[in-house]
Amino acid sequence: MLAPAKSKPRIIVGERGAARRLTAVNDAAARLGLEPDMPLADAQAMYPALERAEADPEQDRFLLEKIADWCDRYTPLIGLHPPDGLILDISGCAHLFGGETALCRDLVGRLEGQGFKVRAAIADTVGCAAGVARFSQTGPEADIVSPGATKAALMPLPLAGLRLSGRVVRALAQVGLKRVADIVDQPRAPLAARFGISLVRRLDQALGDEDEPIAPRRPLPPYVVERRFGDPIALEADILGTIEHLAHELARMMERRGEGARLVQLALFRTDGRVHRIAIGTAAPLRDTQRLRRLFADKLATLGDECDPGFGFDVVRLSVGVTQRCDPVQTGLESINLAGDLAHLIDRLSARFGPQRVMRLIPQDTHIPEFAIVALPAQTLLHQTRSHHAGQEPTFACGPLSGQDSLAPVRPIRLFERPEPVEAVAEVPDGPPVRFRWRHVLHEVMTAEGPERIAMEWWRDEAGQVLTRDYFRVESRQGARVWLYREGLYERETIQPRWFLHGLFA
Amino acid sequence: MAPYAELAATTNFSFLCGASHPEEMVSQARELGLEGLGIADRNTVAGVVRAHIMGKELAVKIAPGARLVFTDGTPDILAYPMNRSGWGHLTKLLTRGKWRAEKGDCILTLVDLLDHIDELNLIVLPPIQIESGSLISRLVQLKEAAPRAVWLGASMLYRGDDGRRLARLATIAVEAGVALIAVGDALYHIPERRALQDVVTCIREHRQLDDAGRRLHVNAERHLKSPREMTRLFRQAPQAISETLRFLDRCRFSLEELKYEYPHETPEGYATAQDALMALTETGARTRYPDGVPANIRHALDHELKIIAELGYAPYFLTVHNIVRFARSCEIPILCQGRGSAANSAICYCLGITEVDPSRIALLFERFVSAERREPPDIDIDFEHERREEVIQHIYRHYGRHHAGLAATVICYRSRSAIREVGKVFGLSDDTVGALAGTIWGWSNDAVTADEVRRIGLDPADPRLASVLQYARELIDFPRHLSQHVGGFVITRSRLDEVVPIENAAMEDRTVVEWNKDDLEALGILKIDVLGLGMLSCLHRSLALLAKHYQHDGNMAAIPADDPAVYDMLSHGDSIGVFQVESRAQMSMLPRLRPKEFYDLVIEVAIVRPGPIQGDMVHPYLRRRQGIEPIDYPSENLKTVLKKTLGVPLFQEQTMRIAIVAAGFTAVEADKLRRAMATFKRVGTIKYFRDKLIGGMISRGYPLDFAERCFHQIEGFGEYGFPESHAASFALLVYTSAWIKCHYPDVFAAALLNSQPMGFYAPAQIVRDAQEHGVEIRAVDINFSGWDNRLEDGLGTLEPVHPRHAKTRAAIRTTHAVRLGFRQINGLAETDGRTIEAARDSGFDSIRDLWLRTGLFPTALERLAQADAFRSIGLDRREALWAVRALRRSGDKDDLPLFARATMPELEPDIDLPPMPLGQQVVEDYRHLQLSLKAHPVVFLRAELKSRRIIPHEALVGLPSGERVTVAGLVLVRQRPGSASGVIFMTLEDETGIANTIVWPKTFEIFRPIVLGARLISVTGKLQNESGVIHVVAERCEDLSFLLHHLSADAGCLPTLAHADEIKRTIRHMASSSPDHPGARIDERTVRADDLMAAAIANAAIPKGRNFH
Repeated sequence: MLAPAKSKPRIIVGERGAARRLTAVNDAAARLGLEPDMPLADAQAMYPALERAEADPEQDRFLLEKIADWCDRYTPLIGLHPPDGLILDISGCAHLFGGETALCRDLVGRLEGQGFKVRAAIADTVGCAAGVARFSQTGPEADIVSPGATKAALMPLPLAGLRLSGRVVRALAQVGLKRVADIVDQPRAPLAARFGISLVRRLDQALGDEDEPIAPRRPLPPYVVERRFGDPIALEADILGTIEHLAHELARMMERRGEGARLVQLALFRTDGRVHRIAIGTAAPLRDTQRLRRLFADKLATLGDECDPGFGFDVVRLSVGVTQRCDPVQTGLESINLAGDLAHLIDRLSARFGPQRVMRLIPQDTHIPEFAIVALPAQTLLHQTRSHHAGQEPTFACGPLSGQDSLAPVRPIRLFERPEPVEAVAEVPDGPPVRFRWRHVLHEVMTAEGPERIAMEWWRDEAGQVLTRDYFRVESRQGARVWLYREGLYERETIQPRWFLHGLFA
Repeated sequence: MAPYAELAATTNFSFLCGASHPEEMVSQARELGLEGLGIADRNTVAGVVRAHIMGKELAVKIAPGARLVFTDGTPDILAYPMNRSGWGHLTKLLTRGKWRAEKGDCILTLVDLLDHIDELNLIVLPPIQIESGSLISRLVQLKEAAPRAVWLGASMLYRGDDGRRLARLATIAVEAGVALIAVGDALYHIPERRALQDVVTCIREHRQLDDAGRRLHVNAERHLKSPREMTRLFRQAPQAISETLRFLDRCRFSLEELKYEYPHETPEGYATAQDALMALTETGARTRYPDGVPANIRHALDHELKIIAELGYAPYFLTVHNIVRFARSCEIPILCQGRGSAANSAICYCLGITEVDPSRIALLFERFVSAERREPPDIDIDFEHERREEVIQHIYRHYGRHHAGLAATVICYRSRSAIREVGKVFGLSDDTVGALAGTIWGWSNDAVTADEVRRIGLDPADPRLASVLQYARELIDFPRHLSQHVGGFVITRSRLDEVVPIENAAMEDRTVVEWNKDDLEALGILKIDVLGLGMLSCLHRSLALLAKHYQHDGNMAAIPADDPAVYDMLSHGDSIGVFQVESRAQMSMLPRLRPKEFYDLVIEVAIVRPGPIQGDMVHPYLRRRQGIEPIDYPSENLKTVLKKTLGVPLFQEQTMRIAIVAAGFTAVEADKLRRAMATFKRVGTIKYFRDKLIGGMISRGYPLDFAERCFHQIEGFGEYGFPESHAASFALLVYTSAWIKCHYPDVFAAALLNSQPMGFYAPAQIVRDAQEHGVEIRAVDINFSGWDNRLEDGLGTLEPVHPRHAKTRAAIRTTHAVRLGFRQINGLAETDGRTIEAARDSGFDSIRDLWLRTGLFPTALERLAQADAFRSIGLDRREALWAVRALRRSGDKDDLPLFARATMPELEPDIDLPPMPLGQQVVEDYRHLQLSLKAHPVVFLRAELKSRRIIPHEALVGLPSGERVTVAGLVLVRQRPGSASGVIFMTLEDETGIANTIVWPKTFEIFRPIVLGARLISVTGKLQNESGVIHVVAERCEDLSFLLHHLSADAGCLPTLAHADEIKRTIRHMASSSPDHPGARIDERTVRADDLMAAAIANAAIPKGRNFH
């Protein structure tokens, strides 16, 4: 029941088997005659310009979990009924909210305030509540089935209300059994023989003849450890010692689950109520107590006075925000864990200078020289390459960067961010420069090789203004070894090509 | 500047690699002044014929060859045959590579080349990074195998080191002792095509432009270059340029040399094929005319034999005769009939290839075989569609796979597939691409216009979108893959794989040559079309039933000609199920045309076609026929041409004759004109013909508008015209099927149902039509039905005949009832149906009995129960289902059947199943049988409809034109003919009959969701009654589908009744196909009367698996 109410017709589309079908429609779309399970093609034939979105069952599930989290305020015992239902066991909780009716009104009102469309029902059994909430024709948004009225409430419901599979519901319909009333007083054995034992069980559960436990959601294991001091601590050594101690506890907990920390938060509670929170990200999942201690030591050192202990801290709490699988790696007998050391180095440098300052250069799959390399934060990169490429460098289908046959250097050692215009004299149409003037110095070309012809990416070039470049490797009598290009193909693109110097080889 | 020939031209037949049509390459070569052009596509010669034709026209020397791409690391090698036998080596080499690969692929290694290396000139193209040692040893190895026939190709890569690289290649060439040769390695004809080449690369690599990176070429240099430019680029090695001429000179082979050789067909006892043909013709003539061959036929035979002898075509006729004889001599003979221009030949009639008696229509043998055209005749033969495969396999068997192969069809990008692929490449969202594709109806070749883009709420000026539209437009008509032609066979005397490479088809046991029918025709290679026709299967079944139940002799020839009752029936538009004339358009034409004799049927078949309709020939013809307009002729000369059709040109032959008589074309030119129409888009020669035709006619004193109409019609004919002879062949089937329907509606209905899927109507309409003709239809039942629908002894009297068909009443000779067969049950397997039939004996007395004796799975029994097939043992649908469901559990294998049978009823307590109301029964019938014998669903809603002032369809007949009415019914068919500018024809059905409605585009846009979405619809509008043809022109539509829920809560799932729901299918087709699915392709000549609709709709109209081969 997660359809946000909006006035414009909107549909959600997903894959159902081989076909694309509507998985949900909003009220406006329903009024147009669109309904879930309709083939998308049919819907589009009817309304070509329909606003639509892709179904994302994972996100739906995630949202449902979030709502369940929120419902914690009413009862800790909550079961999921995907894709769009929640089951709350409110036994013994209702009085806290002024009774069942009040609780129900409160819950529905608040959820609707958040933009959800909600239907709720309270009943003696899970089956009855679920069926009534989804299929009851009476009542506005909430139905409360009084104790003892369970059977009466179930009778008018369609059999789908018993949470049966579509197949069973259809099979029942074929022999004319459509409502709970049609089967509730029938002998059970023939039904079970024909439609499976689940039919009878669901019926009994809904009637309360059979127990149905709610499978509560298990909250994510929160890795939180803390230490309280009667006597506040203030010395850095004490703090670090405490961190190390807590880190030991954390490591034990994480090891049991085969996880490592990617984000660790340190909370230092000052006696006067202020809280310092210091977060550390790691490049690889981490359980190593010593390293963790070192990271916090570095961080505390950079923070300096910002982390003023004042009269001391009375609580030190260490929690793990993000975890990742961290299986033990078997190392060779004599190998040195280079990758691990590098990761640690990157972590330390990043902790000290900031992750944006520790970069790595990554080759890019493009012909355009100035875009051929980008610098990315080393910490994030290390993590990405680990998870996506199992530690390998990204590879390209087109082979090595050098596209030429000979062994000469292809790209200059230093590439200017902005190519510098030069004046040059050259043979038409595509000969190398004979001489050129760069930064007021006239260079006589001794040797030159080229052209390497690089055309720009035409699809980014909306106005058709970007010209093709002819690059030359040039060595001048004056000793410059440079990378020059002529911009624009003579006569084909321009009659006055301009020249630029793009980089230096030495 | 030195002369230069380009020897490495890749065309777009290197699919998704080359970016120019072969024709474009050739004309650019001429523009640039190249000495010659070598066409070398990747492991294929599919594009060389087109280049060859263009080369001939523009006087450019074309060297046909291929670029061999290896799987074993060998660098690419261009291979050009020195002579005819070199060509054979090349095609055999490619065939070998293709036979071991999947369809469309080719696996070659250097060993294969060494096996077929004789008489080939080879250019080795070094890879980007050269490894000198291995390259030299490869060259030496090749040189030893092919002395003086190996070159090392050098091209400019523009990677900065071209000078060094060239020097290095020169050294390697010297060391290996081969000559260096300059190549441009062109992928497109002009630099502007770089963008499109990038786009196709992305399509090939499934990438978007933004992330394709270095998969794309770095610059636009892969275009054809002028001799001047090449000379300049290779100034360091001028001999590499001059070498191109020496190379070209050594490629002496031309496709002209592929002179076609007919297979040897001379039967034993005859000296020559001509002798055999004469003798067979004579025998045939005596069988056809037992009372003596009429003089004019004798004359025609002599004339034809003389021309055939002159041209040496006798073996061809014998080949066709052989195939036809095979079909007829099968254990159960396969019905077959020639069509097309072959029906212009008296010999074909005598040989039994065609069935139209030449004494009934005027012959024009020259349309079929002409000494002037010097082209092989084209014979198309239809076989029963279900048995065509037998004929195909016979041909493979008889001639061998090295001598016979199917022609290819080049599948090209259409508007929709182009926009989809290009949209994806530019990274448009699926929604946008879908919406853009959605603006295209069917199989159009027209680009999306700016207006249409605006209509779906996008801005055509958006640069990215504009690029998408532009490149999609350029991509249209690019070949994307080869597929098999529907039935065109190439048969040769010498090995076929020495003429053209042969590859595996997607279908098992089929092999396909690389050239399509135009290519084959251009080279003068014989092709026989072996086609499948559903109606022949239906006729076969009808004749068998007639023989079994009505003492008919089971032969088509025994059906009397020119039976007036048949024409009467057709004149009333009573033609459901009849071949060709059953569509709405044909049905409304019949009462206007009122056919009286066989020739009228020929016209009827030909007139409802895009050619005559677009040429605006239909109404003048009708007016003249009805005597409203005087019959006159534009000139005395044309009178002879147009007399048969009252001065209005309707047939292909006539338009050609007009070009000859009225515009001064020669016969050859007229034929060229006809052909140009089919391909004019690509070649662009249409304007020349237009000026010549219209100019010629005006100068001979014909009015301009008549001239323009003629041209317009020829345009339409190009793709969708019927020659008279073809129409006559089809008219024969129209007559035969109509005769059976007229006199034996029971036989016709049963045969039609057994031949499904075919035709225009769903089983429900076929059954209903039979009932209205007084045929008793009996329900499917386990104790009476067979797999097929069959005839049972009837009561001897007809059921009441619907007043609509009162006039036909007297002609009906039906004495049997039709028992529906198990095949009508959705999802029931044929083996299950046949098992029941075989195990039945004296009948089944319970479900358990049936189950035990047939061993069917409970799921099959369930389907029978759902189809309500247990009535004879006293169980209705629900009771039967209830019982069947119990089998599954309590009757498992370990349960002793005898014991269970004895004890079950006592063990199980009774359960009360609610009875099923009749309305729901009907819905269930429709769901599981697609028809109901109990009632029409609308019956149950009549009271409700009446309260809404909705009138039954039968009441329309009595109302005057112009009256405003409201009708309602289930939607049977929606059609949007391409020739009708967006008008939608919607056929509704209620319990009293059918109503045809017309929805104009404006109205459609308002009620679009209803028109497309409703199962039950009401239409309000003005009534139009034109010679008894009634339409309601919609002004308002209302969706009444919700009323169906009154019948049953499940009625929402009622299967759509529309058998050929073109519009939705079109859209669904768009949604489902990125490449235009080859399965949806149909042969343009077999498209049914509704080819009224542009190919677009027509293609989508016929569902997959229902092709009319």
